[in-house]
Amino acid sequence: MNELKENLKAQIIEQLNLEDLTTADIQDDANLFSDDGLGLDSIDALEFIVLLESEYGIKIADPSEGRDIFQSVNSLAAYIEKNR
Amino acid sequence: MIYVKTASSISHQNSFQKESIWEDLHVLKADSVVISPDYKNYIPAAALRRLSPVLRMAMTAAQECQKAVEVEFDAISVGTALGCLKDTEKFLQTFISAASETLSPTAFIQSTHNTIGGQISLALGNHAYNMTHTQNSLSFEVALIDAMMCCREGKKNVLVGAADEAIDFLELLRNELIKTDRQFTSGASFFVLGSEPTKVSVADCSITFNSIDLSKEVDSFLSKNDLNHSDIDLVLHAGIELDSFKNSMNYEDYSGFHYSSSAFAFHIGHDFLKSVNANNVLIINAQMNEKLGLTLLKK
Amino acid sequence: MIEIFVTGYGAISSIGNNVEEMLQSLLDEKSGIQKGKLPHSEKQLVGEIHFTNEELIKKFGLKTTGSRTGILGAIAAKEAFANHSINAEIRTGVISGTSVGGMDTSEIEYRNLLEEKPHNVANYQFHSSGNSSEQIAEELGIDGFINTISTACSSAANSIMMGARMIRQGMVDRVVVGGTDGLAGFTINGFRSLMIFDEEWCRPFDESRKGLNLGEGAGFLVLESAKSIEKSESTILARLRGWSNASDAYHQTASSPNGQGATLSMTEALSVAGMKPEEIDYINAHGTATPNNDLSESQAIINVFGSKIPPFSSTKAYTGHTLAASGGIEAVIAILAIQKGYLFPNLNHRNVIEETKLQPITTIQKVNKIRVVLSNSFGFGGNNSTIILSE
Repeated sequence: MNELKENLKAQIIEQLNLEDLTTADIQDDANLFSDDGLGLDSIDALEFIVLLESEYGIKIADPSEGRDIFQSVNSLAAYIEKNR
Repeated sequence: MIYVKTASSISHQNSFQKESIWEDLHVLKADSVVISPDYKNYIPAAALRRLSPVLRMAMTAAQECQKAVEVEFDAISVGTALGCLKDTEKFLQTFISAASETLSPTAFIQSTHNTIGGQISLALGNHAYNMTHTQNSLSFEVALIDAMMCCREGKKNVLVGAADEAIDFLELLRNELIKTDRQFTSGASFFVLGSEPTKVSVADCSITFNSIDLSKEVDSFLSKNDLNHSDIDLVLHAGIELDSFKNSMNYEDYSGFHYSSSAFAFHIGHDFLKSVNANNVLIINAQMNEKLGLTLLKK
Repeated sequence: MIEIFVTGYGAISSIGNNVEEMLQSLLDEKSGIQKGKLPHSEKQLVGEIHFTNEELIKKFGLKTTGSRTGILGAIAAKEAFANHSINAEIRTGVISGTSVGGMDTSEIEYRNLLEEKPHNVANYQFHSSGNSSEQIAEELGIDGFINTISTACSSAANSIMMGARMIRQGMVDRVVVGGTDGLAGFTINGFRSLMIFDEEWCRPFDESRKGLNLGEGAGFLVLESAKSIEKSESTILARLRGWSNASDAYHQTASSPNGQGATLSMTEALSVAGMKPEEIDYINAHGTATPNNDLSESQAIINVFGSKIPPFSSTKAYTGHTLAASGGIEAVIAILAIQKGYLFPNLNHRNVIEETKLQPITTIQKVNKIRVVLSNSFGFGGNNSTIILSE
């Protein structure tokens, strides 16, 4: 699980072009979409959908489903474990 | 009268945040690069990560104009000939070579021409009139004409500018579609127009298509403005050979080749009038042959 | 104040090759949206025009060749300018809006490059957005001011607005204004990447709406001053009374929940027209059927009209979302509403949006008089435009 989370953080940084961040900067439970998290937005949510499919083969058809799944690295990892 | 309050350019010259770019202008060498500031100092990381060069240049130049003027712009008019080329090419590659139907959206979103103006309004929290004009080599001139219209309608602080970027792909179009020997360059130049008197005013800007006799067009533009050739202290020109003026420069020597370069010429002309004892600058944009843009700056 | 008269209109879309055919489809409540028939469109429901570029050139006797966007624009502009002629005493211009420009041709050639097939650089000559307006001007023989506005879905409305302002400032006497966009793989894939499509027929202003269906087409008006009409002797179809453009400045692709930009543009357009909200007889809404736009626009309509909401509809369930052409096509629809006295319906509507409960017109209605119509066009980048037309 920890390896998955570490990989996820690296993939997030790459997919979202978060040039100045390292995996150490992203807390497992931080709310990625709030300002004290990473301050991500709806475009990033779509990029998460692309990431889930290209790296984990998981397809999300409805973008509104994504909101809960993408909340944090924890929720993402949990979803991936369940669905891949 | 329509006055120029401030000017800001990011170009292949060391032009950014210069009180006057006139003195330090030098002819570009064949392998020049954009001289850009550290954008981290001007654009928050969350926004910066998505921005292509043309967007970074335009937003930063626009923000410099906002800093200089402080008052919220009551209109924004942007010109761009080819728009956000880097993201356009990126999205073309994305969807053409896609293995699945799930496509990364960021490049598409950033690729539309009005992303430049849109990002400026977002960054400044500006709710005013926001227009993007795209008319090839005359894109800046049309944006300027619109900005001048806004001033005549009573707007007091109008942001106007143009930006275009070079990508490697353009080399494939050289000679066949884009007739130039010059280096393809990038640039963004922005200005604020207003009604409060400053040293430099924009007297007139006009565009004509299908111009057969360029020198005749120039003559009638000058006479419309009650001027002779000898009244012009500096002519900044592109795409035309001239011998009837006392002092002329081909502005592409200083901007390189891109379709928003007449905006950089505007900046040169503006700073020339600010620093030299002179009264009239004429910009002749004949970059695309019979499509002619004429702009008159006055002290 | 110089009055702005409309003395020509033209439109081509999936619901008709000209204004008369479009009117018939509107009256018959016949949508042009169906499964796409081309490789780049076959996976979606789209408002496609079922002719190839070559067929269009032949059918409409065009001089122009080249990109689909330029061709569609030439067709609609030609129809609008049909009863006009070039007159040295009438300074005439063209202002057209487009979002894709000639991308439909460029993307074919670029694919050749990527796939290492023979690559013909000449085919990029139609790429730039500026070229489409020059194509239109050349088709009509217009040798005056030409401009292209590219603000995504508000482009045509903005072109109309700029034309009116230029007449008012005495810079032109007569101007052909509107917008055009042909369907391209770039746009279809682009909107797909935004996950903003409805796999079914779109439902503007409906609680269950899921997204938009794309369309293609072109719509143009001819605007003139009274002095110009004395010389051209053209027939007046309508008057352009108000216009405005404002920025939402909320997000690059989403509209603000309180509809700030849209509220500003509608309010200012009314002010330019010197009219009160209660004078609006019909609103042709932007209504793309995306969850975001329709809620934001509904809120803006409430902000401006309060409890007295005029009859309104989105006609995008007829035509699809024609992007830069939408403001032009919908301006023609607004004029038809005024001329014929019909409120055109918001097709495919079942239930109002829970939060705002606004009820659009859902079946065609003949009314005594439609004097004034307000038309909204909102583009990505928070670019909000409104125009007001009257008899």
